[in-house]
Amino acid sequence: MSTTKRKSLIISPELCIGCRGCQTACKEWNQLSATKTTNKGTIENPPDLTPNLFNRIRYLEVPSETNPVRWLFVSQRCMHCDDAGCMKICPAPGAIYKTKEGIVAYDKEKCIGCKLCVAGCPFNIPRYDEKNKISKCHLCSDRVAEGLVPACAKTCPTGAISYGDRDDMLAKAHAAGYQKLYGQADLGGLGTLYAFKDAPKVYGMDENPAIPESVVFWHKVLKPLAYWGLGGAVAASLLHYVAFGPKKDEEVK
Amino acid sequence: MSDMVRKANAFEILNHWVMAISFFILTITGFAFLFKLEQMNAVFGSFHQMRTIHNWTGVVFSASLFFSLFSYLIEALIFTGEDAVWLIKAGGYFSKKMKLPAQGRLNAGQKGYYLLLLLTGGAIAASGFVIWLMPGVKKWILISHLAHNISFDLLMLAVPSHIYLATLANPGTFRIMVYGTVPLEWARKRHARWVQKMGF
Amino acid sequence: MTNNWIDIKNSDVILVMGANPAENHPISMKWVLRAKEKGAKLIVVDPRFTRTAAKADIYAPMRSGTDIAFLGGMIKYILDNHLYFKDYVVNYTNAPFLVNPDFKGPGELKGLFSGYDEKTRKYDKKTWSYQMDEKGIPKKDPSLKDPSCVFQLLKKHYSRYKLDTVSSITGTPKEKLLEVYKTYASTGKPNRAGTELYAMGWTQHTVGTQNIRAMSVIQLLLGNMGMAGGGINALRGESNVQGSTDHGLLFHILPGYLPAPTASVVDLKTYIEKLTPKTKDPKSVNWWGNRPKYITSYLKAIYGNNATKDNDFGYAWLPKLDEGMNASWLMLFDQMFKGKLEGFFAWGQNPACSGANAGKVRKALAKLKWMVNVNLFDNETGSFWRAPGTNPAEIQTEVFMLPAASSVEKEGSITNSSRLAQWRTRAIPPIGESKPDSEIMNELYFRVKKLYKTKGSKFTAPIMNLTWNYGEKDKEGKIKAVDVHRIAKEINGYYLEDLFDNKVTPPKQLGKKGELCASFVTLQADGTTSCGNWIYSQSYTQKEDKVINMMARRKKTDTTGLGLYPEWAWAWPVNRRIIYNRASVDPQGRPWDPKRAVIKWNPNKLDPKTKKPAPGWDGDVPDGPAPPMADEKGKYPFIMRADGMGAIFGPGLADGPLPEHYEALECPLQENIMSKQRINPTIKLFYDKGKGSPEDIFISCDIRFPFVATTYRVSEHWQTGVLTRHQPWQLEMMPQQFVEISEELAKEKGIKSGEKVKVKSARGEVWAIAMVTKRFKPFKVAGSTVHQVGLPWCFGWQYPEDGSGGDSANLLTPTIGDANTMIPETKAFMVNVEKA
Repeated sequence: MSTTKRKSLIISPELCIGCRGCQTACKEWNQLSATKTTNKGTIENPPDLTPNLFNRIRYLEVPSETNPVRWLFVSQRCMHCDDAGCMKICPAPGAIYKTKEGIVAYDKEKCIGCKLCVAGCPFNIPRYDEKNKISKCHLCSDRVAEGLVPACAKTCPTGAISYGDRDDMLAKAHAAGYQKLYGQADLGGLGTLYAFKDAPKVYGMDENPAIPESVVFWHKVLKPLAYWGLGGAVAASLLHYVAFGPKKDEEVK
Repeated sequence: MSDMVRKANAFEILNHWVMAISFFILTITGFAFLFKLEQMNAVFGSFHQMRTIHNWTGVVFSASLFFSLFSYLIEALIFTGEDAVWLIKAGGYFSKKMKLPAQGRLNAGQKGYYLLLLLTGGAIAASGFVIWLMPGVKKWILISHLAHNISFDLLMLAVPSHIYLATLANPGTFRIMVYGTVPLEWARKRHARWVQKMGF
Repeated sequence: MTNNWIDIKNSDVILVMGANPAENHPISMKWVLRAKEKGAKLIVVDPRFTRTAAKADIYAPMRSGTDIAFLGGMIKYILDNHLYFKDYVVNYTNAPFLVNPDFKGPGELKGLFSGYDEKTRKYDKKTWSYQMDEKGIPKKDPSLKDPSCVFQLLKKHYSRYKLDTVSSITGTPKEKLLEVYKTYASTGKPNRAGTELYAMGWTQHTVGTQNIRAMSVIQLLLGNMGMAGGGINALRGESNVQGSTDHGLLFHILPGYLPAPTASVVDLKTYIEKLTPKTKDPKSVNWWGNRPKYITSYLKAIYGNNATKDNDFGYAWLPKLDEGMNASWLMLFDQMFKGKLEGFFAWGQNPACSGANAGKVRKALAKLKWMVNVNLFDNETGSFWRAPGTNPAEIQTEVFMLPAASSVEKEGSITNSSRLAQWRTRAIPPIGESKPDSEIMNELYFRVKKLYKTKGSKFTAPIMNLTWNYGEKDKEGKIKAVDVHRIAKEINGYYLEDLFDNKVTPPKQLGKKGELCASFVTLQADGTTSCGNWIYSQSYTQKEDKVINMMARRKKTDTTGLGLYPEWAWAWPVNRRIIYNRASVDPQGRPWDPKRAVIKWNPNKLDPKTKKPAPGWDGDVPDGPAPPMADEKGKYPFIMRADGMGAIFGPGLADGPLPEHYEALECPLQENIMSKQRINPTIKLFYDKGKGSPEDIFISCDIRFPFVATTYRVSEHWQTGVLTRHQPWQLEMMPQQFVEISEELAKEKGIKSGEKVKVKSARGEVWAIAMVTKRFKPFKVAGSTVHQVGLPWCFGWQYPEDGSGGDSANLLTPTIGDANTMIPETKAFMVNVEKA
């Protein structure tokens, strides 16, 4: 049996030309409807991810010494965390799950619409559709399962979105001079890695993304305490019963 | 047949049952959510339905909690010297020879338990409503999620003890939940001041 | 393209000027970035900081329409600093040629070249000639010192393009100019190559041809032509626009760039005599000397057996242009506007949005009796009669819509900018009533023919004698279904007789009667071969009785490592991937840069069949098999030119043999800083000194229209948006017409980003959403501040249906064309921007 390796994307803003072929390819493959938008004085559109927009290019303008502006094009989408906050907090079995390729996928049938994943995600990714079901990038898990490349990576003309075995991709990026990729170790290692030439915040990303502390505390302490607590309370009662027995009326004076 | 005294009226009995049953359902479904117990699909049809049941049962629980206020709150808030002694002596549960002062209708343990229930039950209900009705508001959801789970953990510790104390540990107590009455003698021994006050 | 898309990866310096590949040719950026990864520098010169500029190592802003000043400054820099590739310049260009001593340049004649006639607005090019020796070959001075030689004239001409002057014209800061010049001129070394990518940003100017000429001069000086990673590369705006140009789309050329005959060229003999370039230099290949073969084979292809030696191969049936007649786009619509055209086929186009001065175009359409709109969708052209502001009751034009099949619904070839003809199969059958273009033409052809047959006409021969053997015929002789393979074969050409090479004994058979031609090398001028388009000969050929569609090949071998992929499809001519490649080697045939050898002379080469020594070239298909230039039988590298040399001096053009800066028709300046001549003196003015129709009005240097404007496309929409505006996914990203304006101008005008504004020119008005941005900066021109704005032309009133998209920016652009090509000047004109 072949062992399936973890897959990942590497997003390279250096190679991105902001053509948004990925935005269209994603919509085409996933048959996502369009939103009626207006021009808000920027070419960035729609202004945020929506249940029908799994992947969008952000156009960031940062100051430059030599040019009128430094214009960065950065893909925003699900990061496919190894330690996925959404999946952790999700109460519905199988609603958010991980494929054998390490993709954080979801099953709308099983989603109960509680939106806890929205709170659990460190990257503000999950959106809910009109039927109140989770909607986000699933790295074309249906394509990937058939050995195909995700639609965005397939259509990207420059290789700004590349896809492959995570380890190979990391090795290649290291060889190309990127010492550390964004997401290489964060959250157990992200499935969407970024090859940044500057600090992540320049690209509008959190320096140290993490699952909300309360969720971690809940997961590590409160969750086990629930059944240990229940079990302990029952056990203690029984123990008391054995040790001291019931209160007999004559004892109560 | 000995004389009986009424310790709980019909409403209180009903309310307690409502609370107990709703609590039981909430706990089971809660555990199912907490540990993604897929087997529960067989019981509830789907997690989606289970969520609906959990939420509406939560409403019932909250209501019963609210109604319980009329029965217990004032009494639970009055802390007497006897209560202090009772607490120091841990209700006599860890010694066969402990002599306890005469108690009112509720002893200190019962008062404490009620206040704890009110607090955790209130918290779990309030946070539950936030999670239910303010989905996607990250800040509130995270606080509520934490509160809901802390309360749940406390309840998981407290409720089994309550059940134990009301059944095995104190034979004859459970009938209050059925009939609302206890034998006078039984009451005298446990709630002497109350019996006295009642004029028996 | 002289080179090809993939070859961009071989460059050391890539100059993008007059193009915006990241937005309009996104796939090409793969190769640009590949080059960058290997250390290449990307220079972007553009009035606006584009998505391409975002990837640049050096970005230089430049006011629209001042490219020649910018490039002239570069030529001066290269010459002053001796950065040119001397061996190349001396051996492979016309730099050493001695020019007529009477020739005078704009420096001496107030911005004009010698021979200008103000009345006709034309040059008498008598003085733009070379001094000839007794054999009739141009005199040369290889030392390049003779004051009459091209090199010295070039030096003199561009000595006027001083850094300060250039900066003051272009608005480019001096340090940016120097940085660009220095970086690009670094490719003047044999082991470095620089390429230039341009598109409509260069062609759509009144000096469009000269923009490209200026770059040709630079590329020749630096020895970049013919090199891998070099060349001048036109990024064509549509996937098959190269193919359509090759096959005679334009009014002045027949397929294969054969000149279209004019009325005075009365017969084939005259055509051949008058239009075949000649040379007396034995070392010059002068490939166009083969024109008689190509025109005759073309006539045989279109008229078949009806074309005989006795009837001049049907030459008389070819349509002729009147002497001096110009049937370019602007002229056609001008004629239409004047009511001189009855009918119009708008085939695969949307002139109501794409045409310069679209307001005039829309009015012109109303003058037609009938119009046929052949398109995938109805568009602003087909529905011009119900556009906002028009009264359908007043319009008499009868409009027909013929739904056409899309590119994936039909089989055939597509030729991209790399001159690469790729065969494509049909993915799905045409939807509904739509038909492939060939089927629509087939219907038209047979119906017209039938009408001619039954009703007769004055001149039916051109139609009645046409060959049309594109498939099985029905009872009436009509082709039931067009077989595009037959068309492709007709284009490739056939041997109509057994063909022998009689120069060798015994005569060697070159071709068998009825077989497909091997290549244009075997075409004949005596009617024994046919060929629909000589440059495509070899595209669908026959080898050892096997018919091979070369365009359908899909093998990915790359022996040179340069990405030539010679077995992937087929490139014209004769599968050559980099043209002018003989200039990539020294006169001995050794590559200037062995690391990227396009071709290489191999004296020890063996014939693959006989294993006998047969010296020849390795690598790409060379520009002719002749040995290298230094060899006794050697030839000059630029085989398409009569003199065999790269043209630094270009006397063939209408507006001067050397590019000179003139302002755009509409410009912000009262005077040209360079000379007294403000605009290109040879452009055809549709409106002059109050004469002409008001639709053609232009207003230059006027406070009513103080801002320079340019138009462009965006990655999210295709051309006028007929295909993409029906696509909600694309509209979601790019929903509305916008105008990009600088923060400085926005502040001046009190305009906020995202609010609606009006953009007005002397001809029209559009609304747009203001996109206030740092990507446009005011220019310092001639000491004062000049603002520039830009807006796309991909929107139209018809779709989105609620009108929320806006309308085409071409409602603003002027009716004026380049002096040589008549390509409209839509990249530089004057507007005003006001709050709506």
